[in-house]
Amino acid sequence: MAQTTVTSEALVDREPPSRWAQFRATLGAWGFMAPAGVLVLVFFFIPVIILFVVSMTDLSSSNFSEPWTFIGLENYARLFRDKFFPKILTNTFRYVILTLSFFNVGLALVLALLTTHIERRAGFFFRMMWLLPRITPSVVYILMWRRIAHQPPFGIINQLLSPFGVEPRYWLFERPWLFVILVNGFVGASFGMILFSSAIEAIPRDYITAAKVDGASTLQIIRDITIPMIRWPLLFVTTYQTLSLLTSFEYILLLTEGGPGLFTTEVWALTAYKRALKTYFGHNQWGYGAAWGFILVFIGIVLAFVYLRVFRFNELVQEPKIDVL
Amino acid sequence: MKVELENLTKRWGDVVGADSINLEIQDGEFVAFLGPSGCGKTTTLLMVAGIYKPTEGFIRFDERIVNQMAPKDRNVGMVFQSYALYPHMTVFQNIGYPLKLKKVPKEEMQKRVQRVADMMGIGHLLDRKPAQLSGGQQQRVALGRALVKEPQLLLFDEPLSNLDARLRLSMRSEIKRLQMELGITSIYVTHDQVEAMTMADRIAVMKDGRLQAYAPPEELYDQPRTLFVAGFVGNPPMNFMEVEVDRENGDYHARREGFDVVVPPDRGEKAAGRGKVILGIRPEDVTLADEGVSGEIYVVEPLGRDDLIDVRIGDAHVHILADPTLRLKIGDNVKLKFNTHKVQFFDPATEDSLLWT
Amino acid sequence: MATTVGPKGYGVEAGRLYAARRVFNSSIAYILLVISIIPIVIGYAWLIIATFSYRTEGLLPIDADGNVGGWTLRNWAFLNDPAIWHVTLNSLVIALGMVIGVGFVSSLAAYALSRMNFSGRKGFLSLTLILHAFPSVTLLIAIFFVLNFISKLPALGPRFGYNTLGGVALVMISLDLPLGVWLMKGFFDNLSWDMERAALIDGASRFRVWWEIILPQIKPGLAALAIFEFLSGWSAFLIPFTFTVGTRVANLPVYLRQLISDTAPTNWNQVAAVGLFQLIPVLVFFIFTQEMLLSIYSGGAKGGT
Repeated sequence: MAQTTVTSEALVDREPPSRWAQFRATLGAWGFMAPAGVLVLVFFFIPVIILFVVSMTDLSSSNFSEPWTFIGLENYARLFRDKFFPKILTNTFRYVILTLSFFNVGLALVLALLTTHIERRAGFFFRMMWLLPRITPSVVYILMWRRIAHQPPFGIINQLLSPFGVEPRYWLFERPWLFVILVNGFVGASFGMILFSSAIEAIPRDYITAAKVDGASTLQIIRDITIPMIRWPLLFVTTYQTLSLLTSFEYILLLTEGGPGLFTTEVWALTAYKRALKTYFGHNQWGYGAAWGFILVFIGIVLAFVYLRVFRFNELVQEPKIDVL
Repeated sequence: MKVELENLTKRWGDVVGADSINLEIQDGEFVAFLGPSGCGKTTTLLMVAGIYKPTEGFIRFDERIVNQMAPKDRNVGMVFQSYALYPHMTVFQNIGYPLKLKKVPKEEMQKRVQRVADMMGIGHLLDRKPAQLSGGQQQRVALGRALVKEPQLLLFDEPLSNLDARLRLSMRSEIKRLQMELGITSIYVTHDQVEAMTMADRIAVMKDGRLQAYAPPEELYDQPRTLFVAGFVGNPPMNFMEVEVDRENGDYHARREGFDVVVPPDRGEKAAGRGKVILGIRPEDVTLADEGVSGEIYVVEPLGRDDLIDVRIGDAHVHILADPTLRLKIGDNVKLKFNTHKVQFFDPATEDSLLWT
Repeated sequence: MATTVGPKGYGVEAGRLYAARRVFNSSIAYILLVISIIPIVIGYAWLIIATFSYRTEGLLPIDADGNVGGWTLRNWAFLNDPAIWHVTLNSLVIALGMVIGVGFVSSLAAYALSRMNFSGRKGFLSLTLILHAFPSVTLLIAIFFVLNFISKLPALGPRFGYNTLGGVALVMISLDLPLGVWLMKGFFDNLSWDMERAALIDGASRFRVWWEIILPQIKPGLAALAIFEFLSGWSAFLIPFTFTVGTRVANLPVYLRQLISDTAPTNWNQVAAVGLFQLIPVLVFFIFTQEMLLSIYSGGAKGGT
């Protein structure tokens, strides 16, 4: 090995220092990352910081041009003192839990089971139909729903139910929650449906055949084989959709704007948005809205880390099989 | 171009791909890296190509250390098992790609691609896409692409293993002929020992990332340095059995139950007095005879030209090749003559040869 | 059912029963599925009927005299209004901006993450995953400040600041990047290493390998991402609505929303026509690229399965 040492020293003269080469190579790779990196920095990282800072100021459209006043956690305190805070909190829970259980997971699972139990082409057709709400521009989609639940004589529900003797009414005003959940649920169900059906189709046929040979009924097969075998997608959809629902407000904004009346269907994310950016009177309370928003951001960050851990996405990552850059 | 590997090591965390490989390849030499899959031969090849960076050790091209040199500056050509042709490019574009990257002028590129393609016998296929070619044709395109840049070093990564048996045979001789004509230093990775034996000037046998032997084919065959090399090179493989070698009346006897042969003193001497050693002998060095070690036929496998016969001697098995016209049957008793000038001895603990060090 | 004995003593009876149960099971499935899509069908039906009628009551077209009937094309008169073409163009710019922006930026980053061995790679990968799960709409309030700041920059301001198409597109591109990077990385992961090695040995730089060798291999993936981004850009409401004022940089959805204003009585049938107009490209993509869409709307979430 003594000979090796000699040659290794000789190397240093002839080769550029490997550290420098490595650095240059790393720069090359970062070149690929740079555009994405800059955008992520500007539109994810900096906003998180801004949101946090603004949430501790009294910044609003009335004192925009003046120096900001740092008021510490006052906005957060004010948020919890808000007269409508309990209402908004209950609304948020109601919205997330009902939509999630009935549609994003519940109906999604039912649809996945149904579409995988019938003929393949037909199953595909129904899944595509269910994708329509998701793909329809939100404004147009809400337009449809508003007409469906419109007041007499325009509303479609009234027309369809009148032969059954149901009193015509302005459904959207009288049952706003029903429609908030339906509207979101019809979009939300397709995500779980797609994931569940591909998971169900991936279950080896042998298990089902074996169970049938053993005399299991369809319901027993679903309960004892299908559901246990898709528990990971189930858990994934549940957690992922909880977070999406918690922070989503676009459809509510378009459908009811949180109304009718005071805060009837207003959820947390919508409050944050409206306080900061879209108030009726053009008075934007950025600081206060940011406090509402930052709590959601905080929950989002924590849950995102948890997902990463629980679902072990890291294990999907393969090592590059080329060293040079 | 001369290539030298010194202490060449590649590790990924705890996984060792190649472990202190030392060897040198002379200018114009054809060297095969031979070993079972996962032995580190492709890893070593990719380090030579510049795709992998060595964790330790050095690669020298003509005395120059190239560890940090980018693949494109190494002037090597490489042929892959999967051919690795660019599916969206025509044959012409595939072969011409290295020249395009070197900014060779259009006309010259045209000429050089045509010349290489004609040499490979695919001159009429230049407008096709790889998917429209047979496996053999694809391999010729891959070879053409490697040759067109007139590399100083050719690397082959199991180039023939995706071809059918007949094509493999003809491509084998073609690659060998080309290499000799062009005189380009070549490294040829394979797990097929026949390929290595027939094509290479020298063979580097590898196992578990380590270099087991590096020698010309005949030497590898006749003087295997380790038990692994002895067993891996040669088909059908060498027979092994545990024996004890003793000196008796000036003769060296290799003995086990039901087995006693006299071995030449130059070989016997090195194995004597060590307790149990492993005796190795190739099937073609054991013949049927009227006198000798007796055994019973256990299995007969017809190979066509020969029958491969498994003969049981006590609780040991010896494979031999026999003339099919003898019509040997399972259960027949036979006598075996061992060509003791060809026996090998190995240390059972270190698995190194006792004869060649 | 009369009891018949099959050749083997049993089986005909059981077989029939089994077959009958299967038909019954799948008919129930069909019935339930058909019921489930009724609201979707009704919504679309109303939109199409309303577009071509004077006014509607429920799903019935009603003419000026209050009788059923009265088909008309007058709702499409908005096509003569230059404003609609202006907002359509804006929609198109946002959509194409997203196709190119997300496609280019995420395939660059995804290539590095999938196939290059550089320091910091692991960190970037985890970051992509975290951002992928992170609900980006919560950042809109803060992005308002970022855009306001960009507005004050000399060269960038007029192009990418608040109330500019560039700003809207940039925000939408950025918020879709984690998804794009994750999806593209999945496509890159499946490519042959040998081909890339061959190109490097042939003398290409990593950038040329990416551009000339790798990207052509993932055209289907790029196409899928492009369609997805086009649709999400074309349909975008929340971000254009939040970061623009007035009609100069409004896109179709924002324009449509303004039509359903709370102050003036809404001409629902004209609104329906504008809605259908906006739906046309969406439905065209929907009909011709269904399988692609189905896979992409699961949003690269395959990892969880």
